Amino acid sequence: MGKKFSGVSQTMSRFRGWIQAGATLLTNLHLPNFLKGGLYQGAGKTVCVPGLNCYSCPAASGACPIGAFQAVVGSSKFSFSYYITGFLILLGVLLGRFICGFLCPFGWFQELLHKIPTKKLSTKKLRPLTYLKYAVLLVMVFLLPAFLVNDVGMGDPFFCKYLCPQGVLEGAIPLSLANSGIRAALGKLFTWKFSILLSVIVLSVVFYRPFCKWLCPLGAFYALFNRVSLFQMKVDKSKCVSCGKCARACKMDVDVTKTPNHTECIRCGMCIRACPTNAVCFRYGFGDGKEKENAATLRENNKA
Amino acid sequence: MNAKKILALMLCAMMLLSLAACGAKDNDKQADMSGDSSAMTGEPKTAEEAFALHKELLERENALLSENAELWEKVFMAADKGMTMQEDGKNYGDFLLDTIEGAKDQFTDEEYEMLKESATEISNIENKLTELENKYPEIMQESIDGDMSVPAGSDMTNPPDDGSMQKFPAFEGKDLDGNPVKSDELFSANAVTVVNFWFTTCNPCVGELSELDALNKELAKKGGALIGVNTFTLDGDEAAISEAKDVLAKKGATYQNVYFDSDGEAGKFTTNIFAYPTTYVVDRSGNIVGEPIVGAITEKKQAETLQKLIEQALAADVG
Amino acid sequence: MSCGKKAAAQIALLMAGVAMLCFGVWRGEAATVLSKAIKLCLECVGIG
Repeated sequence: MGKKFSGVSQTMSRFRGWIQAGATLLTNLHLPNFLKGGLYQGAGKTVCVPGLNCYSCPAASGACPIGAFQAVVGSSKFSFSYYITGFLILLGVLLGRFICGFLCPFGWFQELLHKIPTKKLSTKKLRPLTYLKYAVLLVMVFLLPAFLVNDVGMGDPFFCKYLCPQGVLEGAIPLSLANSGIRAALGKLFTWKFSILLSVIVLSVVFYRPFCKWLCPLGAFYALFNRVSLFQMKVDKSKCVSCGKCARACKMDVDVTKTPNHTECIRCGMCIRACPTNAVCFRYGFGDGKEKENAATLRENNKA
Repeated sequence: MNAKKILALMLCAMMLLSLAACGAKDNDKQADMSGDSSAMTGEPKTAEEAFALHKELLERENALLSENAELWEKVFMAADKGMTMQEDGKNYGDFLLDTIEGAKDQFTDEEYEMLKESATEISNIENKLTELENKYPEIMQESIDGDMSVPAGSDMTNPPDDGSMQKFPAFEGKDLDGNPVKSDELFSANAVTVVNFWFTTCNPCVGELSELDALNKELAKKGGALIGVNTFTLDGDEAAISEAKDVLAKKGATYQNVYFDSDGEAGKFTTNIFAYPTTYVVDRSGNIVGEPIVGAITEKKQAETLQKLIEQALAADVG
Repeated sequence: MSCGKKAAAQIALLMAGVAMLCFGVWRGEAATVLSKAIKLCLECVGIG
């Protein structure tokens, strides 16, 4: 059983690029809207997509969880969103940062940029920056939109407005290309956010997923649930030969043998493919699934 | 390996494209300015020729005005503060000359010279136009019928001379206090009507309400008006109306807000607007002047564009 | 046993997530999300 699942893990990580492409397409189904310069306005936008995908993207088929959270919190009626928090907890427990690695369109975008052949730099020394994303989540997504309000009780979506590069990439650029009225509205804010997008693009070429590591509030939220997520990394200690290849292969600077469910692990599976003895694999289910009980637990879960 | 290279190339192209998108903003406005000075000479023999000349002159005048749009905006702003807008039937060019003279200190010598030159030309054009109109009174009639009444900037998408000017969709609705409002009555009663589309949870929309109220008061002096359309209140949703009224009251906005049925002509028009706030300028005959302004007029650029469109509509209404 | 504890935490979180989600929908947050998501939020995408 364990071996079989390891096979599935190998396949999943090998075809990750295609899964990412498919997820990006599903998140942005309404492609003709790019030419029309309008938005999809159907009921699908009540529900959030799992990844960071601007709901002002012409093609977007759902709402962005971070944008939606700020929309609710920033409205004069509410100062906290149970709907979005509940949704994110659910996704966090069911999938965790697997979403970052497999389903997020902006993560995929950064990975594609990273494929541009240049000298690549390690982010190991920049580890403290990874805590920045929790500050972004707390301050720009939770606190400021809820408490820094105008005279009618409305708050600005601070993360979307001042930081999110995905909004410029998917919203402002395609819409201003297709719509002259919007083109005329571009101003200082656009210049600021466009520079952020450009910096993220440049950084993505030399670093692996800089935005995910340091700034993404959605990644930060899922990271908090990585430890309790049903989707886990499993290292078979009896097979492991401690060669350290997995840690060297990891672009998120995680040593899977020591901390298989580290907050930074995006479940990309590079360690699985690097392992010479097939000791690392994905595991999906409740609990920890102890070494020998692995198969038994899985069977139990299947029943439940 | 090959696939990797292709991918890299594609990405580079994408990035270049996205960069180019920002650079191309203003170029289209500059084009189309030359080859019309011949219109100043030559005497028309028939009414048709006179009409053609009239049209050409108007176009030349508009070209002059849109040539240095930013400078003219400054002039218009200066005009707002003090002077009365050609109510005494004075030549529009002379009015501009006066205004430029009055606001002389706001321009560099070079700008001043350029503005003065253009204004003098406009003054000449206006004289010629008046002359033509006196000789061939039917021109006026025709130009109004042919939707010539609005001077157009060269960057307008609807060419003003082919009669395809976009009408603001007609509606029969109510204001938030339940008083009936008819679009044709509303527009014909005002030299210019500014229509602002907003919704209650839109932050920038709510942010501009008090400025819109100030604009409404200013417009009232010039025979214009501003109305709001809150998209949540369409079809007369009671809860939405009371929320909208609440926000309007908090922002001290007293101008009229109207709603209509969402399945009517204006309702469908509203559904197609997706960027908020969006502001339209409508002239006396119910035509949309220029392009809609996207974004709050609390931004300087948007406020200036709006002011320019209002001036256009007012000027056309007098002329 | 830590394994059981973890499973319990997972189940509890899942239930809490579902409960919060339902409560949020019940008090009308979903409608707010929809009303914002179908319109172009100018300040969000960085226009202005």
